[in-house]
Parts: sequence; structure tokens; C-alpha cells
Amino acid sequence: MFKFIVRRILWLVLVLFVVSLITFTLMHLVPGGPWDREKQLAPQVVDALNKRYGLDKPLYEQFGNFLWGVVQGDLGVSYSFQGRGVTEILLKGLPRTAILGILAFILAQAVGIPFGMAAALKQNSTTDYASVIFSTIFASIPGFVLGILLMILFSVALHWLPTGGWGSPLQLIMPVICLAALPAAQSARITRASTLEVMRQDYVRTARSKGLPENVVRVRHIFRNSLIPVVTVAGPELANLITGSFIIENLFSIPGVGRLFVQGVFARDYGLIMGGVLFYAFAIAILNLVVDVLYAAIDPRIRFD
Amino acid sequence: MKPLLEVHNLTTYFYTQDGIVKAVDDVSYDLDPGETIALVGESGCGKTVSALSIIRLIAEPPGKIESGEVLFNGTDLLKLSPDEIRKVRGAQISMIFQEPLTSLNPVLTIGRQLSEGLESHKGLSRGEAEREAMNLLKIVGIPHPEQRVHDYPHQFSGGMRQRVMIAIAIACKPKIIIADEPTTAVDVTIQAQLLELIRGISREFNTALILITHNLGVVARYAHRVFVMYAGKIVEQGTALEVYHRPHHPYTAGLLASVPRLDEPRKTRLLPIRDQPPDLIALPKGCAFHARCDYSIEMCAQQKPTLVQVAKDHYSACWVDQKGHTPWQKKSS
Amino acid sequence: MTVVTKIETVSARPHHTLWGDAFIRLRRNYLALAGAVFILLLALAAILAPLITPYGFADQNLDEIMESPSWKHPMGTDELGRDAFARLLYGARTSLSVGIFTQFIVIVIGLPIGAISGYAGGKTDNFIMRFVDVMYAFPDILLIILLRSVLGGSIYMLFLAIGLVAWVGVSRLVRGQVLSLKSRDFVSAARAMGGMGNYITWRHLLPNSLGPVIVSITFNIPRAIFAEAALSYIGIGVQPPTPSWGAMIRDGYNLIFAKPHLIIFPAIAIALLLLAFTFLGDGLRDALDPKLRR
Repeated sequence: MFKFIVRRILWLVLVLFVVSLITFTLMHLVPGGPWDREKQLAPQVVDALNKRYGLDKPLYEQFGNFLWGVVQGDLGVSYSFQGRGVTEILLKGLPRTAILGILAFILAQAVGIPFGMAAALKQNSTTDYASVIFSTIFASIPGFVLGILLMILFSVALHWLPTGGWGSPLQLIMPVICLAALPAAQSARITRASTLEVMRQDYVRTARSKGLPENVVRVRHIFRNSLIPVVTVAGPELANLITGSFIIENLFSIPGVGRLFVQGVFARDYGLIMGGVLFYAFAIAILNLVVDVLYAAIDPRIRFD
Repeated sequence: MKPLLEVHNLTTYFYTQDGIVKAVDDVSYDLDPGETIALVGESGCGKTVSALSIIRLIAEPPGKIESGEVLFNGTDLLKLSPDEIRKVRGAQISMIFQEPLTSLNPVLTIGRQLSEGLESHKGLSRGEAEREAMNLLKIVGIPHPEQRVHDYPHQFSGGMRQRVMIAIAIACKPKIIIADEPTTAVDVTIQAQLLELIRGISREFNTALILITHNLGVVARYAHRVFVMYAGKIVEQGTALEVYHRPHHPYTAGLLASVPRLDEPRKTRLLPIRDQPPDLIALPKGCAFHARCDYSIEMCAQQKPTLVQVAKDHYSACWVDQKGHTPWQKKSS
Repeated sequence: MTVVTKIETVSARPHHTLWGDAFIRLRRNYLALAGAVFILLLALAAILAPLITPYGFADQNLDEIMESPSWKHPMGTDELGRDAFARLLYGARTSLSVGIFTQFIVIVIGLPIGAISGYAGGKTDNFIMRFVDVMYAFPDILLIILLRSVLGGSIYMLFLAIGLVAWVGVSRLVRGQVLSLKSRDFVSAARAMGGMGNYITWRHLLPNSLGPVIVSITFNIPRAIFAEAALSYIGIGVQPPTPSWGAMIRDGYNLIFAKPHLIIFPAIAIALLLLAFTFLGDGLRDALDPKLRR
């Protein structure tokens, strides 16, 4: 177990290195520098800015400096948010994005798993068809489209909810639903499929042949096994939640990491983009690691060697 | 003596999108306390389904027990409520399945899978049940039971898992154990050990045994009476010795000729039964076996034969036999 | 003994090939059929857009700005006086071409890489798969955004950016298929009969892995369409005046209280198109899943 985690962390470091290398290379292939504005800056000013941010140094030295900073937890300096550190900027947005993501994940599983199970236990019933149709619909409609439809209904037509912003719980409702819709639908589909699969397994028949009460068979023998595939997709689902927050945060004007990052892209803010990419890659890798450990906890067949 | 279990005219169908599979069609047999009977036939002949129907473990849908009765100590198991039949399963009638690899839950410890039945039927506490689980593992010959109760199924070999399945089956000291091809999936070297274990246990606890197998060699050694099934019906029944030595159905003779026997010279060639078993959805009009039978006559294609007594406690469903011919017997005696 | 007419014991039920079976299954699945019909109709409408609406997607009429739906403008006009219905039809061209052309890129890159990886095995396989793993760790949208800023603003570069990110899944799938098929008997048989490496790959392996690849492509198309719409919605997708449903939503967002129809129609259009592809993909998957065959 310990060895497994160490190996995974080493792999993670390698991935982050490659990701930052790719990002760095791509950013310096971009035509135009960070100081391109509608109003051309004077060459002296550009030189001065380049010097100040170390952009006059050779590329490998810039990359080395950046990596050295990353090791110390410093993701570099933002060029558009004058003089502020990328780490500081991202950490400011992080709690908002995290709260959105965690709430959406909980909501998604709390809705998706029970629906998927109910559908499987009553295969071909109305519950089943309803669950299949709803999960297909929510698995296909993008979060921001759902967001707009909700907004038109609850903000424009009914005036119940604000269209965006951050601060009150009311402002959380729509963004959380939009983020949760896709993973909820996925969880429901996977839970349904895996429960149907598990219900056909020989060991469920064995459990019934022992004369166990039906709810014991369901909870102890079916439920635990049918959750295994749900846990395996939790990693990608969390990654989707994080990248989904890009668009949802823009739609609902939430000053989280995603919105900051998109602002950085528009401003050609190399510092913020590189820092942001690395930050996202790191977050996703850590979440996947946690999911893998969790996976091993519920499936004893998984060995760490 | 009154039989412990009487199966009368049991009929179980499966409704699939291609049609109705008549897996078990009007099957009757009985079992005395402490007796061992064998259900014999090729795979897909309905022997497993008939056993599963007894304790109503058929998946519904697509399966359905159409008619018949299963009297256990005089009670019709087919008429019990789901909760009542649940109390019979495991406690009165238990089952050992064919596939030890897939019949144990991969995410629960062996101990838990043994103790849960005890907790449910005998009302034991978790600790008592676990101690009893260790005891059961010892009975079925698993070394270091006190450690192995905490292991998971994937840490056991196939033969060991089948021992665990046997332990599960005997946990609540049932009156009947149904063993569905208990040795098919394990190594040949282990098969005899497991069968001896099952027989030893059934003798020790005076448990009646329904042995489902396709191996007539096993039958002769372990069963008192045998029921040969073909295409969902019983085609021959009798004491094991009678059926073994004087088969009155060409199918039984074919089965005997297709397995190696120790009491015959090595030179004797094994004779497989030709072709495949019939499609249970579209059964032929007459005898289900006639198309594969070397001895069939006109009548076989026209009318279904019924079980007729041919000797003491010996019944067979074959038109040729009922005309007094048993040309297959010289081949196998 | 008398010989009786031998009756065929094998069932009289008809047997089909994999593809024949799949087609029959698909035809029975009305949702998948509805999805396919919707996609075809939309494609037809997109191609024939000039015949359906008299307006061009960039025609501005400053006398008719922000009009509500009417007979003249079935979906109203935007703040520049452009006909929203015309923009929706021409926007379908963008969505569908993104969906299709990205998949060409995906196939051109993903199929050979996966097949080579699976077939070669060993170090080649290991190296390719480690690279694929790194690509997996990179969030899709993030990489698309990065590539987008490198490759520049044209719509072809948008295809390329989305395609360059999406091939990974297909290559993994093909590799897995090749690996599992490689060990199957019929390939061993082909090899034993003297079939050579490339020949075996092309003649036996690829046709057999085609089913899952088709299913995966069908699911990839809506993902690419979604990516374009999302990028255009945040403003880094197709550039104006090229019409795009995502961009229409972006433009309409400011007017959501005053003229909600400007945003409702493109939103519903995206939802329906993606749903149609999901239904079709589900149908294809069920139809081609050999586990369901009996």
C-alpha cells in the first residue's frame, strides 16, 4: 500500500513535469507576447517589463526558474493582475471552486446512485424507464445549456433565483445543479448497469440459497459489489467537475479558479495560464490517487503490486 | 417410510425473446430422509433448473414455475410466501453450486459468508457465528481455520473454495443438500476428495443428498437411486445398480458408453452420443431423443413415450423398450 | 431397426451475421432511430440552408433589431438585426462539421497509434501508453484551450485542437481490442497458416475491432460538438461572424431578460443535437455488443 502510494506520487511528479514542459513550450509558440495590447506599448516599456518578469533570459533558464518556484509552492507571477503571485490568485478562487465541486459531487452521488439502484432492482418498471430517460438526457445536455434553461425559468420567468454572483446560498443552487447533472446521470447509468450485472452473479444466488432476508442480500451482497464500478469512474467525474467549473463559473459570474483562468487566457497572461494548468493537473492527479486508494478499500481483490 | 421430499409434475419454463424454453417439463421424483439420489444428464437437460425450482431460486422473469408441487415434510414449498421459503433455504434445504470461483462473494470474508446464514437462521450473535464458522471450516478440512476465516475468496484455491461452499451448505444442519455438479469445476485429483467429504458429512448428519451430475461413474458409487433426465423430462429412473447394469433407455446406455469405466477392458472404445441435444424451444413431436437414437422406430417420431415400469422400482420412457427390445444392453453389460 | 426420416435437431431460428444482427437490433430501437433521423434532417437543413431561409447568417438589417419571433423572422433577430433562424441553420453547419472533421483527425491519429501499440507490444507499446497516460491526466478542455491559443483562430485549427486531444481514447480502445483479439484462436490460426504481421492486422484485427470503434466515435462526436459550443460560449471558439450555437448563446446572454428567445433556441438546439447523438450511440452500442447476442 505504502509502496503503491509512493510509486503513484513519483508518477504524478513526472506527469506534472511533462505537463508543465508541454504548457511552457506551447505558451512560447503562441504568436505575440504578453504585452500585446490594443495600444502598442513603447519598446522600452516592453523591455523593462520583460526584464522585470525575467522574460529576457534564455528559455531553459525561464523554465528552470519556474520549476524551482513550483517546488517551493510559488507558481510564478501573473502579468495581468499586476504584480500579484499566481499562487495567491488561485488560492483566492480555490475555496469557491472547491465548495461548488464538493457540493455538486455529493448531490450527484446522492441522486445518481439511489436512482440507478432503484431502476435496476425494478428492471423494466416505470421507475426504470424514467431513470434511464432522465439519465440519458442529463448525460447529453451540457451544463451551461442546462444553466441557461434553468436561468430562464428561475431567474427570468419566475424571479426566484439570482442569475449569478457569489455569497448567498441561493446563488449556489443553480450552479451546483448544473455541475451535478452530468455526474449524477453517469452515476445513475453506471449503477444501474453494474447492479443488473451483479444481480446475475452466482454469489447473489448463493446468498439467496442461504435464506438471507432480501434486504441483507441487497445491501451486503449486491450493493457493495455494484458500487465498485461507480467508484472507478469517480476520478474522471471529479476531473469533469473541475473542468466543468470553467464554464459554469463564467455563466454564473462566480469568481472561482475557472473564471480566473479563462480571464488569464484572454489576457495572454502566461504566468496565470501556466500556473493554472499545473494547478489543475495537480488537483486532478491527487483526486485520482484518492479514488484509487478508496477503490482498493472496497475491493479486496485489488493488490498494490 | 414417508418421503422427505416429493416433487410432483414440476414444470418450469423460461420466457425468452426467441420463445418458451421448456427447461423442466412434468418432472416427478422423491427423496427419503438420509437418502442420496442423483439427477443425471447432459448440460442443459434441466437438472439444475429442477433443483433450483425446489427452493425457488429461479430468476423470475424470465423463468417461471408453471405447475407441480414440491412437498417437503408435507408442505408445498411452491405455495409458501417469500418469507417462509426464505426460512427453508439454507436452514432446511441448502445448495452447493457448480462454480466455486464465482459462487462466493469476492468482497466479503469467508467467515462473514459462513456466519451470515447462522445469524439469520439460528439467531447466533456475530461472535458465536464466527466461532461456529471456524468449526465448520475445520469440518470441511481447511487448515488453520482461525486465520482463514478472515481471508477473502480470491485467496483460496478452487478446491478450497468448494470446501467453503460445502461448509456454507452444512452450516445450519439442513435436512437436504442439493449438490449441483460440485466437482465439475475443480481438478480431477480433488474431485474424489470432495465427493468423499460430501458423502461423509451426509452420513454423519443423516442429511439427504440430491447429487446433480453428468458422470454416471459418480452416480454408481454414491447414489442410491438415479433419475436420468433428457430435454427437461425424466427418461429413466431406478436404483443406481439397476440402471447402471441394465439400462432400459438408449440414452442412458449412450451416457454409460461415453464415460470411461473401470470394470471394462481398456480396449473398449468410448462411444459418444452423436449430434447435439435438441433445442428446448422447438422440441420434436415424438420422443425428444429419437433423432440421436440408433434404435428409433416410426412411433418414436410420432408420439411422446411416457414412463412405464420395466422392473421393480425401475421405470423407463422408450417405445422400443416397451416393445420388449433392449438392443443397447448387450453393448454395455 | 426401421429408419425414420432424420429430423434436423438444430434450431430452425434464423441466424445472421454480426452486422446483420446489429442492423436489425438498431431498427427495433426507436430512440436510436429517432436520433439518426434528427441528425440527418438537421444535416440536410444545414446543407440546404440557403434554400430554406432568404437571409444570410451575416446579413444585418438595422431597421429590425432585437425583434421577437414572427412569420418573417421565426426566431427573431439579434441586436445587429441578423435573422436568428438563419444563424441557427448556418450554425448547425459549424456544429456538424466540428463533430465530423474532428473525428477524421481522431481516426487518422488514434487508429494507427492504437493498432501499432497493441500489435508491436513491448517497449513501443510501453512508451506510447505512458504518453497516452500523460495526455489522460491533462484535462481535455484545458489542453484544447492551450492548443487553441497556439494554433490561432481559424475554424480548421479548432478542428485540429479538438482532434489532437480526442484521439487518445480511440487509440486506447483500439489497442485493447488488438490485444484481446491477438490472443484469440482465429488469429493464431491465421498466423499458423503463414499470414504475416501486417496482413493479419489489416485482414483480421481491424475489421473485428471496428464495432467498438464506431460506437466510440459516435460518442465522441457530441463531445467535440460540446467542446466547440463551450469554447465559442466563453469566446475562444469560432470567431465572428461565423455563426455558432455557442457564440449565439454568448451573444444572447446579455439580453437574457429582454429577449430570452435569442438564447432559448440555440440552447435547445444544442441539447437536442447532443441528445440525438447519445441515443444513436446507445443504440449502436447495444446493437453491436456481442454479449447481447444469442
